[in-house]
Amino acid sequence: MEYLAIFPPLVGFLMAFLFGRQMGDKGAQLITCSGVIIAAFVSCVLFVQVIFGHDGHGDPRTVHLMQWMASGDFKINWALRVDQLAVVMMCVVNIVSSCVHVYSVGYMSHDKCKARFMAYLSLFTFAMLMLVTADNLVQLFFGWEGVGVASYLLIGFWNHKDSANAAAIKAFVVNRVGDFGLALGIFAAFVVFGTVQFDAMFEMAASKADATMTFFGQDFHAITVIALLLFMGAMGKSAQLGLHTWLPDAMEGPTPVSALIHAATMVTAGVFLVARMSPVFEYAPNALLVVTLVGAATAFVAATIGMTQFDIKRVIAYSTMSQLGYMFFALGVSAYGAAIFHLMTHAFFKALLFLGAGSVIHAMSNEQDMRKMGGIWKKIPTTYVLMWIGSLALAGMPFFAGYYSKDIILEAAYADHTWFGELAYYLGIAAAVMTAFYSARLLFMTFHGKPRADKHTMDHVHESPPTMLTPLMILGTGALFAGYLFYDKFVGHHQIWQDSIFVLPENDTVEAAHHVPYWVKKLPIVAGALGLVLGWVFYLKFVGLPSVFTKVFKPLHTLFYNKWYFDEIYNAVFVKPAAAFGRVFWATDRNVVDGLGPDGVAKTSRGFGAMLSKFQTGYVFQYAFVMIIGLIAIISWFFFKLTNGQG
Amino acid sequence: MLTGLAFYLFAAVVLVSAIAVITARNPVHSVLFLILTFFNAAGLFILLGAEFIAMILVIVYVGAVAVLFLFVVMMLDISFSDLRKGAMQYVPMGLIIGGILLAELIAVFSAWKFAPNAADNIAVPFVQSAEGITNTEAIGRVLYTDYVFAFQVSGLILLVAMIGAIVLTHRTRPGVRKQKVADQQARKKSDVLEIKKVTSGTGV
Amino acid sequence: MNNEAMTSFDFSSLGAILPELFLAVAGLVLLVAGVLRGDKSTNFIGGAVIWCLGIAAFILIGLEWDRVSILNGMFVMDPFAGFMKVLVIGGLIASVALSMQYLHQDYIARFEYPILVLFSGIGMMLMISAHDMLALYVGLELQSLALYVLASIRRDHIKSAESGMKYFVLGAISSGILLFGISLLYGYAGTTNFAILGDTLSHNMSLGVIIGLVFVLAGVAFKISAVPFHMWTPDVYEGAPASVTALFAIVPKVAAMALLIRLLFEPFAALQSEWFQIIWFIALASMVLGAFAGLAQNNIKRLMAYSSIGNMGYALIGVAASGAMGITAVIVYLAIYMAMTAGVFGVILCMRRDGNAVENIDDLAGLSKNAPKLAYILAILMFSMAGIPPLAGFFGKFLIFQSAVESGLYTLAILGIISSVVAAYYYLRIIKVMFFDEPADKFDAEISLSRKLVIGLSVIGVIFFIVNPSPLIDQSRIAASSLFSGLDDVATPDTAENNTQ
Repeated sequence: MEYLAIFPPLVGFLMAFLFGRQMGDKGAQLITCSGVIIAAFVSCVLFVQVIFGHDGHGDPRTVHLMQWMASGDFKINWALRVDQLAVVMMCVVNIVSSCVHVYSVGYMSHDKCKARFMAYLSLFTFAMLMLVTADNLVQLFFGWEGVGVASYLLIGFWNHKDSANAAAIKAFVVNRVGDFGLALGIFAAFVVFGTVQFDAMFEMAASKADATMTFFGQDFHAITVIALLLFMGAMGKSAQLGLHTWLPDAMEGPTPVSALIHAATMVTAGVFLVARMSPVFEYAPNALLVVTLVGAATAFVAATIGMTQFDIKRVIAYSTMSQLGYMFFALGVSAYGAAIFHLMTHAFFKALLFLGAGSVIHAMSNEQDMRKMGGIWKKIPTTYVLMWIGSLALAGMPFFAGYYSKDIILEAAYADHTWFGELAYYLGIAAAVMTAFYSARLLFMTFHGKPRADKHTMDHVHESPPTMLTPLMILGTGALFAGYLFYDKFVGHHQIWQDSIFVLPENDTVEAAHHVPYWVKKLPIVAGALGLVLGWVFYLKFVGLPSVFTKVFKPLHTLFYNKWYFDEIYNAVFVKPAAAFGRVFWATDRNVVDGLGPDGVAKTSRGFGAMLSKFQTGYVFQYAFVMIIGLIAIISWFFFKLTNGQG
Repeated sequence: MLTGLAFYLFAAVVLVSAIAVITARNPVHSVLFLILTFFNAAGLFILLGAEFIAMILVIVYVGAVAVLFLFVVMMLDISFSDLRKGAMQYVPMGLIIGGILLAELIAVFSAWKFAPNAADNIAVPFVQSAEGITNTEAIGRVLYTDYVFAFQVSGLILLVAMIGAIVLTHRTRPGVRKQKVADQQARKKSDVLEIKKVTSGTGV
Repeated sequence: MNNEAMTSFDFSSLGAILPELFLAVAGLVLLVAGVLRGDKSTNFIGGAVIWCLGIAAFILIGLEWDRVSILNGMFVMDPFAGFMKVLVIGGLIASVALSMQYLHQDYIARFEYPILVLFSGIGMMLMISAHDMLALYVGLELQSLALYVLASIRRDHIKSAESGMKYFVLGAISSGILLFGISLLYGYAGTTNFAILGDTLSHNMSLGVIIGLVFVLAGVAFKISAVPFHMWTPDVYEGAPASVTALFAIVPKVAAMALLIRLLFEPFAALQSEWFQIIWFIALASMVLGAFAGLAQNNIKRLMAYSSIGNMGYALIGVAASGAMGITAVIVYLAIYMAMTAGVFGVILCMRRDGNAVENIDDLAGLSKNAPKLAYILAILMFSMAGIPPLAGFFGKFLIFQSAVESGLYTLAILGIISSVVAAYYYLRIIKVMFFDEPADKFDAEISLSRKLVIGLSVIGVIFFIVNPSPLIDQSRIAASSLFSGLDDVATPDTAENNTQ
């Protein structure tokens, strides 16, 4: 059962990758799609079993696959840990992945390497499943790197485009920084706990709450160090402020990839990691503080940037980043359930938005700039309606999925009653206004107003094929109902998490969130509505207004439009000095070190090698001679030693 | 006394003829000296009471191997003096190396010790002629019992050697005529003989 | 009266030698079949040989691997022997599967070829199980003789004939050295049996025994082509037909290494401080020579020859480190090395242009454009050979160096790492040539299924070893510790290295 939820994508990947050419595009699409669909179906069944099994008490389980490595105390198994948290993630991953697989069949219909693309998608899905079902940190790291590799392959899928290659490399390198932290975190965890097995670690967490570790002569609070290092990994993967620069660039990949990896699943791995490690984070209040602040800042900054971008996919990318910020500050205030809840709803509506955007781009003959769109809503009504659903869910309008999850996050932040919790609340409200604003902006610029595209493109605007629309509708359904259906189960009075999430009693903000003042609960709705109205005013009613505002708030706009100059700053602070440094070293290296070192050594080595092979004359008697001389030398050595030793 | 004399005689001839094998200018002479060496070595074996090995040495090495050598050397047209030219420059080096080895081996043998329990270790106790068994019989007794393993594997080695010889040298040349008795027997007159009546003066 | 020798022969004990017996009988039957049907039956015989080897492996795995010594103590079966034989059979199957297509391409499709491989395989298995100097010698000769013939099987090709001749002459010299050593040991101890030798040698020793030890080790070192007994290797590797070179590279060294290990830890266990110095020296010399001399090579077969010399050097580090841990490392290393070499030679056998084999590294130029799959496979294998994680080759080296460090052999470990860095250059150079040089002409496309299978398995093994390394390592550990269980635990030579200074 558990196997069927995890391994079909792997099978699909192997078949499509190895035999893609033999079985043809159709075969590869069929096998990969059926693989993930089976997995999705089975994980839904598992969802019911794991969460409602045992008369509603939940029936988490761990399936041991085999031992991976054993070296002294260091024992690691391959196992599938299917508990409540994992099964939720499995459902999200598999369902979104199925939708994306099917969608890709239509979207990539003009591409030459369909089999390869489908294979990579399946590989990604498998790696992600390994990540969420890991029962130790090393297996998690395996999945973590697996999704990294798959994402690298997929971002750079159109490898004839230089920008795609650059983006793929950037994503890989920036993630390396985070992964470095994660790896250190795993090492630190092993040092402190003596194991990387989740169960064992969680049991020990409370007893190690006061442990310290010495580092450079300083004593640090061990759990905080571990938590912060792990969070560093999470920041990289989940594009939190500081390590976020790769995410917008990653939009160079095909749109289904953006939907699957850079909206619904991979980027949420960081959120999952923190939630999974909740028993550790709970004992590290300072780490939680950092998580909250980083999350809140990300939510705010990403929203400001999102308002000014014109590339339709980049707008959604920044909104993803902003929503991830929400999830993180929810984690930071110990509202893990709320974070996972938002993760789930967000997966639905963000995948919907991305795929919808893909449908628009498809319709507009691969145009991504919103300034060249407009007025196409009558031509692609289905996409139009679905985009509205996604956007309203994103803006947190009542009864859409996003409303429930975003509200509970904001309420939980307020209910934390700490200065950073409240700060996060207000930043979150501000971000909510902006979110609604840019959602409206996206909709109005894309679908309404006068057509700004050339006539040729406009004539070709067409609704997407059913293979693309069906997944959109499924996701649309999710975006509509997921919030309402699961509110009670995830964050309400009948929470399903049991032991899979651990919250100290005094930190239970999800519970406290139900008892916050009335205005706190209603402010997010007001903020969302305000944003939508502003968007309508700016981009539909008074079309001249944006340019006026741009001029009036020129410094701010420039700052936002240039993404707070993160890329430029990194370029100036890290890349250029590193390059300059490199050049200096290179010059020294080439002239001084190489001359004496590698080049010299290489030259001498080759000379030495050539000399050695000169011995190889080809004459048998010389060979025999060498053998005999070697023999005599060894014998003489013993003679010498023994006679000396005895005499 | 007599055995001592015979030993030194045989041993001296073995050494001298062995040196002659490698120094003789004429390869045929070399082979002949080799045969002489074998004969004298066989004599040494007889002195040791190992008459079976002595006879094997004579029959196999002298009778077969050395004679084969002789054929090969006589049939192949190889200028041995040319071959030697290149090798001569290594003689000094060879002498030094050989000298060192010789010195070392002499040192080893002069200080030779036997393990205290060496005699007990011998798997097949030394066969005394007093028991009325010749060493041919003794070898026969252990060869197919205790040493059947080595014997059988030796058989495999010889088989491989045979396969090797055939693989590397045997070739089917086209146009070689062979006598096929069966074909000859099966021939009928009617197959090969046709009688034509020729009227005189017209030709065939 | 001497009838107790007859009665002591117990047929029921023959079980342990059943795989070898089966193979010998199968070899004879196939030989007859081949003779009757001629060279057109080569493919059939080849397939049959693979099947027979498979059945032998099956029998072998089905056997009890508890230590038992049969046939008058000449033949021993223990987990070490069993596991090494499984490796050898695997290597033989791989090399026959690789070569069948090549035989036809190079006009050496003779039915004797697979049969000779089979016989040399029997020789190797007997070597692994040898428990007596006599058994050792006959096993060694059976193996070598078949290999000599195989090296020159392309008899019309001057290089092949030459290489066979060289191998034969030098092999005969090494056999002579080995026999001389054995006679010295026999002269001292009065026995050739390993167990009794082990007991006798532990009493006290004379110089003669040490000289005998040196001679015996030199004879065996020739078979694993350790420096300075390696001189035949490059010439034979280059001259022999590529499929034979593949066989040389994949299998015999594993058997010879197993033989060496058994020699060192059973009869010569008491002489550890002496043989340690020899192994230390030849390990070092092999690594360094393998790394440096390889730099100057242009012929890929020659390059692989130096690579194998170097790799045997690394394996010898594990032998020098000794103890169950060192031997475990050696076995794992050999298994991984076999798998990698099988893949590499699979690719080398595909290097054909217009029906002719090409062997220069430059001929691989631009392979990534002409045959990307082949290029990526070779690249992965080369990365693994160079010891780059997370490929299997890295783990082999890692275990070896780890065991060296734990035994205090810092000099060997450091020089080993240095020389593997140097050697990485020539592995990576192949990758550079394939991916960055101007493409040369395409290779001939057709590759037989069996060869594809071998290459595929090799690459998959190399990549996915990291996923589950424990079965191989555990099996190797069981095999290695079986060598030590009967004997007193041999002290690790941490002080021994000081002796050599």
